[in-house]
Amino acid sequence: MAELRKEPREAWGSRLGVILAVAGSAVGLGNFLRFPVQAAKNGGGAFMIPYFISFLLLGLPLMWIEWTIGRFGGGFERSTAPGIFETVWQKNRFIKYFGVIGIFGPTIIFIYYTYIESWLLGYSVFALTGRYASCSDQASMSAFLQGYQGLAQNEHFSGIGTAYLFFLITFVVNMLVVLVGLRAGIERVCKLGMLVLFLFAAMIMIRVLTLGTPDPAQPEWNVNNGFGFLWNPQWAKLKEARVWLAAAGQIFFTLSAGFGVILTYASYLRKQDDVALSGLTASTANEFAEVILGGSIVIPAAFAFFGPQATREIAEGGAFNLGFVTMPLVLQKVAFGQIFAFAWFFLLFIAGVTSSISLALPAVVFLQDEFNLDRKTAGILFALVTFNLCQVVIFFNGQGALDEMDFWGGTFCVVVFATIEVILFAWVFGMDKAWNELHSGSDIRIPQVYRVIIKYITPLFLVLILGFWFVQEGWPTLLLEKTPTEDAPLAANKVPYVIGTRVLLIDLFAALAFLVWLAWRKREGRGDTP
Amino acid sequence: MTLTGWLFLVVSWSAILGLAVFCLRRTFRRNT
Repeated sequence: MAELRKEPREAWGSRLGVILAVAGSAVGLGNFLRFPVQAAKNGGGAFMIPYFISFLLLGLPLMWIEWTIGRFGGGFERSTAPGIFETVWQKNRFIKYFGVIGIFGPTIIFIYYTYIESWLLGYSVFALTGRYASCSDQASMSAFLQGYQGLAQNEHFSGIGTAYLFFLITFVVNMLVVLVGLRAGIERVCKLGMLVLFLFAAMIMIRVLTLGTPDPAQPEWNVNNGFGFLWNPQWAKLKEARVWLAAAGQIFFTLSAGFGVILTYASYLRKQDDVALSGLTASTANEFAEVILGGSIVIPAAFAFFGPQATREIAEGGAFNLGFVTMPLVLQKVAFGQIFAFAWFFLLFIAGVTSSISLALPAVVFLQDEFNLDRKTAGILFALVTFNLCQVVIFFNGQGALDEMDFWGGTFCVVVFATIEVILFAWVFGMDKAWNELHSGSDIRIPQVYRVIIKYITPLFLVLILGFWFVQEGWPTLLLEKTPTEDAPLAANKVPYVIGTRVLLIDLFAALAFLVWLAWRKREGRGDTP
Repeated sequence: MTLTGWLFLVVSWSAILGLAVFCLRRTFRRNT
């Protein structure tokens, strides 16, 4: 029988490889687009106070928890959340079903993220070929984007064909990397990808820093004041609870903690491999990309060319507007703009690929681990299912399908999953055992104060985030009273599509839960339990 | 950019770069 043939367990080739893979998973569009928008909107320099507090109390503990329980589960040859959770709480028969969130969430994010990623590949090519060169203002660049996405027919695009072609290429690239394997595929791509990403980002950052005052008629519109727009502290904002929540949310999502992907990556470590320093290093690499590189590109550049009023409106317009509309306009105005625009979109594309391959992995590895499939079969099964679900996002994007998936997969599941992880680690596994496990093979000693932080403060922080989020966003969105992305009522014509997307998501969750039940029944039949 | 703006930028960047140097030195002190 197939289940008796088991492939040898994969392993990382080097420590740097796993650090860059986790950093690659964390560094994404949010570092370069979401962070500067959040900082500019929520107090500028003053935003960095709640931001760094959240990093220390929420981000770092979650990273260490995921790395530690991932490696612990890997010791029992379990690489995904259902199995890993069971190794942590062996007496609980139901904990494996909570682990389903750790496969469901990344799979849902993979479905829409791959499509967004394909826009970046498309725009990289457009930058080189000058396809959007005729767009000289925000309105025409927005029309270009809408035409590309198939949301409008205009002089730029007559349909969604071009976007679909780039989606196919992006999807195939992602699946090939996953199919090639952990060391030869993911590790190699992340090592090369992160190098190119940092080089391109540094190149654009240097260009922005040397912009000076592009329009002599507007001497106040310069890079120095652009940095001031982002960094000058607005102290009054610190009194607003939503600013603290925005900072906590930014840290939470930027580190990819709570997605379930670090669990899978860390499960391929050996028992004696360090997790404390590696987790800290991957987090620091992400912060470098976010605060130093991400904070020095879009906002200062937009300010230097469009001034304070327009930059405020652009920031209010959101991250996508900044990336796909403002940045191409800015880069059209600088010397060798086509090259810089290509570098901009391609670095975001790489950031996307290194994230999306990590999102695909939990589901693929689950099929491998629990049903003893080989990597190729598991990968093809995953590709078939997700490719079909991607069609919903592509063809019903205008009807709110993408926002709905992002809301449940990319927000709700992530916070719930992280809360479960912290409770399992600190309260079920037990802080003494958890602390020893975290320091097993460790190259650094984590300060003792983190015992208290991990046990009390991080879970409290998460419950607060979940509570506020549910009251402000979750409940009204669940009742179809508002859209997930803005405080606007949900249009009546979108309601059937939103409900349809929810039915799809529930079906997928139920199918995954059934697979977990089936896998465990097979395991019990073999007498193979942790 | 105001003086406090610069202060926030310098402190934030220094904290991240300091952490990066610490991590890289510790990571490469032993082999990779």
